[in-house]
Amino acid sequence: MVYVESWDDFLERAVVMFRADPVGTRYVMKYRHCDGKLVLKVTDDRGCLKFKTDQLQDAKKMEKMNNIFFTLMARGPDAEFVEEVSQPPTPQQPARKSRGRRQ
Amino acid sequence: MVLLDADPFLNELTKLYEHNRDSGTVWVTLKRSTLKPHAKRKDEDSAESYRCLVRATDGKKKISASLTLKDHHRFQMAYATVLKAHMDALKKREKKDKKEKKPAAVTKS
Repeated sequence: MVYVESWDDFLERAVVMFRADPVGTRYVMKYRHCDGKLVLKVTDDRGCLKFKTDQLQDAKKMEKMNNIFFTLMARGPDAEFVEEVSQPPTPQQPARKSRGRRQ
Repeated sequence: MVLLDADPFLNELTKLYEHNRDSGTVWVTLKRSTLKPHAKRKDEDSAESYRCLVRATDGKKKISASLTLKDHHRFQMAYATVLKAHMDALKKREKKDKKEKKPAAVTKS
């Protein structure tokens, strides 16, 4: 199981996975306060996507993703959430390339 | 598994996060489900019969809630508030750190 490095990549693949199998796909958010770690996982029991972070700024992205998945799950896989994804990527995006630290 | 309404679920979720502040992990799972056993599920189940099932656990206690189309929007916002209040162990942006680290990394490699 490999962690997806890029958030945009992760979100895109997660949505594709959900649309391919809406009933079999689940989205898990794991938070460990004492270590300040957040792990997001999307899996359909065949493929598995994971994203790991310890940055507060990623919590906002996670919130956006929560909203997308709430919408998709409650309204159906064809639900539109265009306004949430079509936002232009933030300019500081390239800067967070080397986050250096791993564990 | 305790199936709760949206508001009690959020209260319990808050408790879960508070209980696991010093040690422990909290998992929250979202899933699309009809809450029917697999065998009874029919192909013609309309999209409306599906709900968003929200489950949360710390490995000991389990809670869940099932959201309909109507309440998912309100829940979404309340949920975001709960998360914001409890995910305060994450790090603030490390802009200064990064600048210091980057040159160091370059010289290493």
